[in-house]
Amino acid sequence: MTVTIDLEQAIAEEATTRRRRRRPGSLGAWLGAAWLLLIGGMAVFADYLPFVRGYAQQVPYARNFAVHPGSDFWFGSDQLGRDVFARCIYGARVSLLVAISSILVGLTVGGVLGLAAGYFRGKTDRGVSIVADCLLAFPPVVIAILIVGRLDALSETGFSVLWWHPTRTWSVVIVLSLLSIAPITRIVRAQTLSLSQREFVVAARSIGANRRRILLREILPNLVPAMISVAFTGIAILLVAEGTLAFLGYSVKVPTPTWGYLINESRPKLRDAWWPTIFPCLMLFLTVVSFNLIGDRIARHFDVKEAAL
Amino acid sequence: MRYALSRLLQFLFVFIVVTFVVLAISRIGSDAPARDLAGGAVSQQQIDEVTQRYHLDQPLVVQYAYWLKGFVTFDMGYSYIQSQDVGDMFRQRLPVTLFIGFWATLIGLIIAVPGGVYSAYRRDGWSDKAMSFGSFAMLSLPALVLGVILSYLLSVRFVLFPLIGNYVAPWDDPWQHFRNFFLPSITLGVGLGAIWTRILRTDMIVTLQSDYIMLARAKGMSPRRVLWVHALRGSVLSLLTSVAINIGALIGGAVVVEEIFSLPGVGLRLVESVQTNDLLTLQAIAAAFVVAVVVINFIVDLLYAVVDPRIRHVRALA
Amino acid sequence: MSASLDRSAPGPLLVVDDLHTGFQTERGLVRAVDGVSFTLERGRSLGVVGESGSGKTILSRSIMGLLPGRNLVRSGSVRFEGVDITHFSPKQMRGIWGKEMAMVFQDPMSSLNPLMRIGNQVSEPLRVHLGMPDKLAMATAEKLLRDVGISEAQRRLRQYPHELSGGMRQRVMIAIALACGPTMLFADEPTTALDVTVQAQILALINDQRRDRNMSLILVTHDLGVVAGHTDEIAVMYAGRLVEQAPTRTLFTQMKMPYTQALMESIPKLDQPSHTRLRTIPGRPPDLVNPPRGCPFAPRCAFARDRCREERPELIDATSPGHRFACWYPVGSPEYLETKQRIDAADAAGSAA
Repeated sequence: MTVTIDLEQAIAEEATTRRRRRRPGSLGAWLGAAWLLLIGGMAVFADYLPFVRGYAQQVPYARNFAVHPGSDFWFGSDQLGRDVFARCIYGARVSLLVAISSILVGLTVGGVLGLAAGYFRGKTDRGVSIVADCLLAFPPVVIAILIVGRLDALSETGFSVLWWHPTRTWSVVIVLSLLSIAPITRIVRAQTLSLSQREFVVAARSIGANRRRILLREILPNLVPAMISVAFTGIAILLVAEGTLAFLGYSVKVPTPTWGYLINESRPKLRDAWWPTIFPCLMLFLTVVSFNLIGDRIARHFDVKEAAL
Repeated sequence: MRYALSRLLQFLFVFIVVTFVVLAISRIGSDAPARDLAGGAVSQQQIDEVTQRYHLDQPLVVQYAYWLKGFVTFDMGYSYIQSQDVGDMFRQRLPVTLFIGFWATLIGLIIAVPGGVYSAYRRDGWSDKAMSFGSFAMLSLPALVLGVILSYLLSVRFVLFPLIGNYVAPWDDPWQHFRNFFLPSITLGVGLGAIWTRILRTDMIVTLQSDYIMLARAKGMSPRRVLWVHALRGSVLSLLTSVAINIGALIGGAVVVEEIFSLPGVGLRLVESVQTNDLLTLQAIAAAFVVAVVVINFIVDLLYAVVDPRIRHVRALA
Repeated sequence: MSASLDRSAPGPLLVVDDLHTGFQTERGLVRAVDGVSFTLERGRSLGVVGESGSGKTILSRSIMGLLPGRNLVRSGSVRFEGVDITHFSPKQMRGIWGKEMAMVFQDPMSSLNPLMRIGNQVSEPLRVHLGMPDKLAMATAEKLLRDVGISEAQRRLRQYPHELSGGMRQRVMIAIALACGPTMLFADEPTTALDVTVQAQILALINDQRRDRNMSLILVTHDLGVVAGHTDEIAVMYAGRLVEQAPTRTLFTQMKMPYTQALMESIPKLDQPSHTRLRTIPGRPPDLVNPPRGCPFAPRCAFARDRCREERPELIDATSPGHRFACWYPVGSPEYLETKQRIDAADAAGSAA
C-alpha cells in the first residue's frame, strides 16, 4: 500500500489550526501592552511631566481629603494634601523596579539550575530538586516578612559589606528573587527535560555535537519563549507579592511609597475618603492584569506547557 | 510502602533544613538575642535566665536541637513581649487561621469544579468565554485589593459585615461566625477558585479528547455521566497538585486577610512579632507554617497513588 | 421519543442510502464519504477495506452517528432495524449506542478508562442501559469476560487496564461492546494495534461471538488479509466511494475493478520467490475537497482511458450474484486485456534490458 496521510488526522489537525488561528485574546494582550507603556512611560518621565506634581508636595488647600477626584487633582488629594495621582505614578517606579529586578535574578539563577537539572539529570537533578523543594517549602509571605524584618534589625546595627548596607529596597529585591528561584527552576527543568527527549537533540548528539554546543544551540533557544512568558507572569505575581509586603509594612518606604503602602496608608480613613485607597488598588490591579495578559498570550502563542507557578 | 517511607525521609529532611534556616534567619541582626528574647531593656538577671532557658550561649546547631525538641512536644517557650506562653497563643489563634484556610479552600473548590468542568465541556461557547474572562480577572486581582474593596463596600459603605473581626466558633454561634468569616474567606476563595478553574479546564479539555471518552460516548452514556464519572477522574490529579502548590499562597493570603479584617489569627500575630522583635513567637509561627506546607505536600503526594492506580503500580515496583 | 427499534422487523438490518459525510474546512468541503449505499442482512458480516484516507473509518462512525457535530455535513439516510436513524437526536442515539449498536475501537490501551476498574467498565452499559442491579451486573460482567476468553475472570474484574496485556484489553473491549447484546457490531481496525499472533485470536473471537449471537458485523480495516478469512462480504472503498462489493470468495477470484486487483497484488505472498519486488500502487489518494471529474482512481490506474477521466462510473451489477463494481474497463474486458498485453510486453523488455 502506498503511504498516505491519515484522513482523520488531517481533518483534526486542520480543525485545530483553524481554532487556534481564530482564538481570541490578542486584544487583551495589546491593551495590556498599551497600559504598561503608559504607566511605565509616566513612571520613568514623572519628573518631567507637567501634570504630575511632586509626590511629597503638600498642597495646603487640599489637606484632609479636601479635594475630590476632579480636574485639579485627578485622583483626589490625601490627608496631607498630597496628590494621589502623583503618588500613584511615583509608586509605580519602585514597584516595577523591584519586581523586574527580582524576576531577572530569578530567571538567571533559576534558569541555570533548571537547565542543569533537566539536561544532566542524575545527581545534578536530585541535588537541584532537593534545593528547590526546600525553597518551595517556605510560605512566601511568611519568609518575606521574616527576612525583611531581620534585615531591618541588621541594618539598625550598622552592618555593611564594603559599601553596601541593607536598605529596604535591597531587602525586598533579595527576598523576591529568592522566592522566584524555585518555581522558575521547576519550570525550566520541566521544559529542558521534555526538550532533551525531542528528536532534534538526539539528532544533534548523533552527529557528534558536544554537550555545551547542544545546550547553547539547541536547547537554550527553545527555552527562550517559555522564559519570556514566565518573566511576564512572574512580574505580575511579584508585583502582588510586593504590594502585599508593602501593605503589611515591609516594603520600600523611602523615598517613594509603593502601591501597597498607599493602599494601607489611607485605609483607616476609608469612611471619609475612598479615593486615596481605591485608586492605588486600581493601578495595581490594572498593571497586574496587563502583565498577566501578555505573559499568557506569549505562552499560548508558543504553546508553552502551563506549569503552575 | 517503601515509597511512602522514602518520601517521608525526604520530607523530614526538608523540614529540618527549612526550620533550621528559619532559626538562623531569626537570629540575624540580633547581636544580643538573649536581650531581645527577654523583651528589650530588662535586668541582667532576667537576661541570664533567658540565656539559660533557651541555651543561647550554645552554638546554633545545639540551639536548634533544643528548639526542635521543644517544637515537637509543643513546648515553644514563653514570649516575654506578649506575656503569653507561645503554646497558648497557638491554641487561641490557630483556629481562626485554620477556619479561614478551610472556608477559602472550600469556596475555591465550589467555584472551580463546576466551573472548570462546564467550561471544558462547552468549550468556546459564550459561557466558557465569560468564565474565562471572569477567572482571569479574579486571578489578577490580588487578595489584597479585593479584600480592601470588599471591606470598603460591605463594611463601610453598606454596613453588612463587621469591620473588625472577632473569633466566634461555628458551633457557638453560626451566624456570627458566618458574619466574621465570610468576607475574608470569599476574598481568598475567589482567587483560589480562579486558579483552579483554569487548571481544571485545561486538563479536562485534554482529557475530553481522549479515546476512552469516545468509547464512553459510544457506549451510550449521557454527557453528564461522561463528564463527571469518566472525565473528571483524570483531571483530579492536576487539581490536587495545584492545591499543594498553592498552600504557600493560601498562608500568605491568610496573613493579609487577617490584617485587612483584623481577625485575631496566627498570621496577624506573626506580623506583630516581626515588628516587636519577638523572636520566639516569630520562630514558632514561621516554623509552624513551614511544617504545614511540608506536611500538606507530603499528604498530597501520597494521595496521588490513591487517585491514580497506575501510579500505585509504578511506585510498588520502584 | 425513545428508540423503538423492532428486532423482529422483516428486511435487512441496515440500509445505507446515498450517505454523504463531509467536513467544512478552510479549504472547502472535505468529502470524506461521497455517496455510499449498501444493505446488510442480519447475521452477515461485511468487511470494509481501503487505504488510509479512503473514508472507511468515517463511514462507520457516520453510520453510527458518532461524529462530532461541528462543521459536519451529512446527507442521505441510514435505516437501522427499519427505523430511519439519520436525524435522531443525541438522546435518541444514546439509546441505541451500546445497546443495539456497538463499536470496538482500534487502540485498546487508550480506549479503556485507565482510572476505572475493568469490572466497572464492563458492567456500566448493563447498569445504565438495562437497569441491572450492581450485583447482577457484576456477575454478568464476569460471564462476559469468560465468554471472550479471559482467564481468571473474577480477578480481572477488580483490575485496571494497565494490568492487562494488549490482547486481553481488546477482549475486554469486545466484552463491553457485546454486553447488552447488540444486533450490530462495528469493529474499527480491531487488530491493528495487536501482535500478529493475537490478531488471529481476536478475529476468531469476534466471529464466534457474531455467529452465536446472530449479530451483524462491519469490519473496517486496511488489511485485506484480515477480511479474507473472516467476512461474508467485502466492500472496497476509494476516495469516499464504494468501488466494488462482492461476497468474499467472489471478490478474491473474480475481482472486476483494477484497484481491487492492485490491492491484492500489493500483498506479499509467501509462495513468491525471494527478492520479488513489492508491487505498490503509484501516486496518492485524491484531494477530497476537489475530487477529479471522472473515476477517482483514474490518475493512478494503469488501465485508465479517456472515458475514465471524463465520466464517473456508477456501480453496476456483475454477473455473479451480490457483486457490484464501478469501472468502465473492468478486469477481463477487451480494453483491459489489450492494455495488459502492452504492460506485460514493456515489463519483459524492461527486465531483459
